[in-house]
Amino acid sequence: MQSSPGMLTKFESKSSRAKGIAFHPKRPWILVALHSSTIQLWDYRMGTLIDRFEEHDGPVRGVDFHKTQPLFVSGGDDYKIKVWSYQTRRCLFTLNGHLDYVRTVFFHHELPWILSASDDQTIRIWNWQNRSLICTMTGHNHYAMCAQFHPKEDLVVSASLDQSVRVWDISGLRKKHSAPTSMSYEDQIARANQNQTDMFGNTDAVVKFVLEGHDRGVNWVAFHPTMPLIVSAGDDRLVKLWRMSETKAWEVDTCRGHFQNASGCLFHPHQDLILSAGEDKTIRVWDLNKRTAVQSFKRENDRFWVIAAHPEINLFAAGHDNGVMVFKLERERPASAVHQNTLFYITKEKHVKSYDFQKDVESPTLLSLKKLGSPWVTPRTLSYNPAERSILVTTPNDGGSYELVNLPRDGSGAIEPSESKRGSGNSAIFVARNRFAVLNVANQTIDIKDLSNNTARSFKPPAGTTDIYFGGTGNLLIITPTTVYLYDIQQKKTTAELSINGVKYIVWSNDGLYAALLSKHNVTIVTKTLEQISTLHETIRIKSATWDDAGILLYSTLNHVKYALLNGDNGIVRTLDQTVYLVRVKGRNVYCLDRAAKPRILRIDPTEYRFKMALVKRNYEEMLHIIRTSSLVGQSIISYLQKKGYPEIALQFVQDPTTRFDLAIECGNLEVAVEMAKELDKPKFWTRLATEALSHGNHQIVEMCYQKLKQFDKLSFLYLTTGDHSKLARMAKIAEHRGDFTARFQNALYLGDVEDRIQMLKEIDLYPLAYTTAKSHGLEEECEAILEASGLTEEQLTMPALGKPLVPPKPVVSTFKSNWPTKASSQSYFESALLGQVEGLSLEDEPSAANGVDAEHAAKDEPAENLIAIAGEDDDDAAGWDMGDDDVPEIENDFVNVDSAEAGGAGSCEADAWARNSPLAVDHIAGGSFESAMQLLNRQVGAVEFGPLKPRFLEVYRSSKTFLPALANLPPLVNYVRRTIDETDLRKVLPIIPRDLEHLASNDLQKGYDSMKANKLEDGVKIFQGILHAILVNAVSSESEVSEAKKLLASAREYTIAMNIELARRNLGSADEVAQDPAKLKKSLELAAYFTIPKIEVPHRQIALLSAIKVAIKSKNYNSALGFANRIIANGGSSKIVENAKKTKAQCERNPTDSIEIEFDQFAEFEICAASHTPIYSGAPYEECAFDGSKYHSSYKGSVCRVCGVCEIGKHGSGLRLFS
Amino acid sequence: MDPYSAEGELINIHTHFYQSQYQQVIDFDTSSFSPENAIPARVLKLRARLALGQAEDVLAEVQGETIPDLEAIGALAEFNLGKTDSALKTIEKLAASAGDNVTVQVVGGTVLQAAGKSEEALALLSKHQGSLDAVALIVQIHLQQNRTDLALKEVTAARRWAQDSLLVNLAEAWVGARVGGEKYQQAFYVYEELAQGSSTFSVQSLIAQAVCEIHLGRLEEAQSALEQALQKDPTNAEGIANLVVLNSIAGKNNTEELLESLKKANPHHQLVLDLEEKSSLFDKAAAKYSAKA
Repeated sequence: MQSSPGMLTKFESKSSRAKGIAFHPKRPWILVALHSSTIQLWDYRMGTLIDRFEEHDGPVRGVDFHKTQPLFVSGGDDYKIKVWSYQTRRCLFTLNGHLDYVRTVFFHHELPWILSASDDQTIRIWNWQNRSLICTMTGHNHYAMCAQFHPKEDLVVSASLDQSVRVWDISGLRKKHSAPTSMSYEDQIARANQNQTDMFGNTDAVVKFVLEGHDRGVNWVAFHPTMPLIVSAGDDRLVKLWRMSETKAWEVDTCRGHFQNASGCLFHPHQDLILSAGEDKTIRVWDLNKRTAVQSFKRENDRFWVIAAHPEINLFAAGHDNGVMVFKLERERPASAVHQNTLFYITKEKHVKSYDFQKDVESPTLLSLKKLGSPWVTPRTLSYNPAERSILVTTPNDGGSYELVNLPRDGSGAIEPSESKRGSGNSAIFVARNRFAVLNVANQTIDIKDLSNNTARSFKPPAGTTDIYFGGTGNLLIITPTTVYLYDIQQKKTTAELSINGVKYIVWSNDGLYAALLSKHNVTIVTKTLEQISTLHETIRIKSATWDDAGILLYSTLNHVKYALLNGDNGIVRTLDQTVYLVRVKGRNVYCLDRAAKPRILRIDPTEYRFKMALVKRNYEEMLHIIRTSSLVGQSIISYLQKKGYPEIALQFVQDPTTRFDLAIECGNLEVAVEMAKELDKPKFWTRLATEALSHGNHQIVEMCYQKLKQFDKLSFLYLTTGDHSKLARMAKIAEHRGDFTARFQNALYLGDVEDRIQMLKEIDLYPLAYTTAKSHGLEEECEAILEASGLTEEQLTMPALGKPLVPPKPVVSTFKSNWPTKASSQSYFESALLGQVEGLSLEDEPSAANGVDAEHAAKDEPAENLIAIAGEDDDDAAGWDMGDDDVPEIENDFVNVDSAEAGGAGSCEADAWARNSPLAVDHIAGGSFESAMQLLNRQVGAVEFGPLKPRFLEVYRSSKTFLPALANLPPLVNYVRRTIDETDLRKVLPIIPRDLEHLASNDLQKGYDSMKANKLEDGVKIFQGILHAILVNAVSSESEVSEAKKLLASAREYTIAMNIELARRNLGSADEVAQDPAKLKKSLELAAYFTIPKIEVPHRQIALLSAIKVAIKSKNYNSALGFANRIIANGGSSKIVENAKKTKAQCERNPTDSIEIEFDQFAEFEICAASHTPIYSGAPYEECAFDGSKYHSSYKGSVCRVCGVCEIGKHGSGLRLFS
Repeated sequence: MDPYSAEGELINIHTHFYQSQYQQVIDFDTSSFSPENAIPARVLKLRARLALGQAEDVLAEVQGETIPDLEAIGALAEFNLGKTDSALKTIEKLAASAGDNVTVQVVGGTVLQAAGKSEEALALLSKHQGSLDAVALIVQIHLQQNRTDLALKEVTAARRWAQDSLLVNLAEAWVGARVGGEKYQQAFYVYEELAQGSSTFSVQSLIAQAVCEIHLGRLEEAQSALEQALQKDPTNAEGIANLVVLNSIAGKNNTEELLESLKKANPHHQLVLDLEEKSSLFDKAAAKYSAKA
């Protein structure tokens, strides 16, 4: 038999054979004693193994939790009983005494006693407080398999392989051990001794009844929790029910069904059921009153050894050959439906009741559904039709059936429905006031029926349909395991669908616009047209949901009530101590049904989610109200606001100065930021404030910050930019006092104070500079004074050419007087609302955020421009000044000395060695010595513009080190990647160079060719320039590679020039523009012709020639075209191109003249100037780039090479070194 | 009996720790340990948690403890939380009062070294008596000081009395990765053995293996190892950093994104700081040059 519909497995574990099980009375824990000697503690709700206890030798058979203390007891085949603390996770002590396997152990429900049954044929009672054996019950003459205390009375029941069940009276023992404590020590001894002598008389525990009836050994026995009943299970495959009175006990009946040894049995704690488990791999459920089988569950391979019930919750556990399973017998979700202010629901007794939310009143039973389905299966769903006041109920019984009944006007007790219509189906719901839909899963049909239960229409739902829900008027929501469909009943077709797995319940919002689709771990919110709005995931199982009137979804998991906003934000509203099913929210009340189908009201605090909802809806009035009326503070709300981009609102909640400062900076509220910075008064905060204030153009705050930070240079510059000369003068004074000559010089420069500068230069004995300064400002007297002081005459001096004296610009506007104007924008709508400045707030009002942003931008841009302008000026000024100091120092040979070995214990790193070991720029770069690398490049090839080389520099540098993780909490060990892998001598090692010659030739060059073919010339120029830069900063391993590198270099140069020429032609303008302007037309024809000159690969040259022909013919320059065609033919190659060229040739030969004269002589020797794109005829003077060899007219000498973009044209160096 | 010997109680948890299997250390069942090993085991667990970045929790746990071992842990936690001064003060106090405690030496040495006080760290560690933990730390400090010669000496000495111990092997691998040549391959073997065993595996070992492969010029193998490591731990800063380096060496262009994710994983990673510094150094140096016209 398969698992019957009612049995639901909640948890399964995999392990060795499970022999003992115990539920924790309060927590979701289960102890499992294993044949492998381990005891496991599982959280069956989360499915996690909490702990393992391994001290027994051999199998453990019995375990039990203490009801109140953090203790449990175990007994095993090592004859030992152990008492453990699961808090400290250790065995507290061991009770020794049994002489054979211990089968079961149980705590007494109130006394500090443990009851054990053992194969030594005895049953013993131990006191775990003083850790002593207090009673030994003898009488069984075979293994005692099980012994349990009676839950209330002083009785013990035991089962033995001697085929008997015995009931023992232990009231004597209780009397003895709950005697007054005033007993003297002697008395105690006497009594203890007396006990010993009682070994055989045994008045402490006497056999009350011996129950004989099993004709094989009995494995398990249990008392009924309330009635005087006993159930036992034996190797005769029978489960027997016994009854006892004060004086006698007798067999009531036998449950037959197990076809192998029955190993365990128990009474259902709340219902009139017996559960039993056996080695026939089944768990069976029996009706206590009729002793008939109700359900049976079979496992494929695992024999059951033990079964246990949770004392409170409707949960059971069974141990088998490969672990345990926790299960329940039936769904506990009460069927219910809400209509307006009334909840209709079905109780466990299958009574239909209603509940009025407003009055908080439960109705008497309206109807009894006892006859619906089988007695042990409660209905699954309830659908209510207000028009007819009728209900549709479905039950999983008999493969699913439904019943349509009318509710009486008012309930007057358990009335059987007067008239009912029923049929088979798995789901049945009302879809209109006179129609309902029934899903039959087995046939995969949906029937639409009228109220007299006649089928009006019928259709096939999508394959695999498992459930249906109301989908809005005239619509059904059809659920399959992977998809939800919106089905229009009238049109008989699906109008929308959404892929979503495992939806189990659907809850509509009160306005019918949204629905929440609940699956085991997900809530998905959709619109009424099934468009997904948001989804969220829960690790704990989701049980139910209901909508607030404001459009907030409240849902319950096993242990929480949570909320979800439409945007998917969610949070916890409260915790739950037991599982409930939410049915409605109203204000602070959440109405729900508990598992016993009792309506309950939970109080909640909706502030948090209301506030968040208001925030989402920008309902500032409501937010304001909430802030004012409730104590809504705390880190979570602050970080939420910050995360959502409302720092200015978060600011209202914070007291902590650091956080306030952070938030103020974030929302640009300088006032608060200043206030907080003053309070905190730390350089870190002033620096940040200065940066923020600068971006606001609030230079007064900036000034204050700089003052606080004592950043004199910055202050001076600030005063210069704001034109505040008086303060600048003060800065000069301060610099003088500080003896800081650089600062003083700078301030004098800013102020245009020549005298002070000269004075200062004299003070520090820099007479030549003082003289030059004086001279350039025409201060002849001063000059003479200086000459006199230094004992020289004017004739003895050779003066450099003097530029114009430096005069700082005069401020046009005194911007220092006030801050740069910004649009007042820092105050958000919300803030002003809080300050009470806004009246008549309304929902429609949008905050002025958008304006604010604009204003801020405007404010930011303005000062930024000013700054740049001023900075630029400053540079120019500096250019006028003698820059002699900055000149590149001369270096005698190729080796650049790099400082090594700092003092102290530390050594120098390998990267430093690289620079020492190599004269190549690239090795200096890899070692991080950029300055010396630049010096080398400058000297070798006249490199002056390093900007384009930056990516290459960083690429080389980045490749040089790896990070080897070593000990915890320390930074990784840095190691240096070498290209000399086998070398270990630090004087010879050299760094790895990314993109070596081979890589360039096989990757980058091909990409460049591709871009030529694909006519992507801009990209092409970039690629070829990239190749040039990579060659410039590279190393090769032999002289022969040097010549290869030169070839590659030449190729990259030619392509760059060619592409630049063609790009220049294209940039002349559109075809029309060019055609109309004779000058441009001429230039265009020339450039097209020059495009064919650079020495690029033949196939690419053909492309250039083709393009030149095209341009020439268009302007009727047949002679030129003829020349190009001849060259194509001469080049040969692809026959198609050659054929076309021949045609062109024939066409042009008829009229070999040019209509526009251009400067292009196809027979002359010339090269193209890479800057002007005009010919340099042989013999004419030219300059070239020392690195790439591109040629230029002499007038371009001194400017940056157009091809590599790095070197100065005409500057000849020692030549590029790639190999040492 | 030496608790760290092959039969000792602490051997496994200790091994887990140095194999960077921090979670295993934390989950290690130490309930059955004898009382004298309780503190060392707890110290290892706390250090593992620190390695996993749980400094605040750890600090809270050891707050007010007066055992020097735990005080040292507290200092390390403080250091990790940026409270450098107070951490150093504690360590200096402990170094004076309980300098012979091996935990104080090792943890204190870590703090001192991390704070840049290598000499003080070495001075404290020099008090150790046959502790491999201390030896390993000394080796790492020497390497960070670029004193490969001293590191090598330390390892060679340790190798004589502690044959085939994990820590000696690791320390040797660190030195090997610095020395290079044949030693790259030997270092690779050490990490490969750790990274390929299912019980010894940790992301760190796999990354270290990849690092060795980079040095050996086996770029493709390094690539696959790093990708595997990042699959297991996508935010591992070392993994990302080394992948940046590897891609750079291989001439790939995707380093920018990786650098971004590295910044996210650890904004203070050496590589990030280094590149920023070098970038501004470049700008500064480049500004000195300009064309004449």
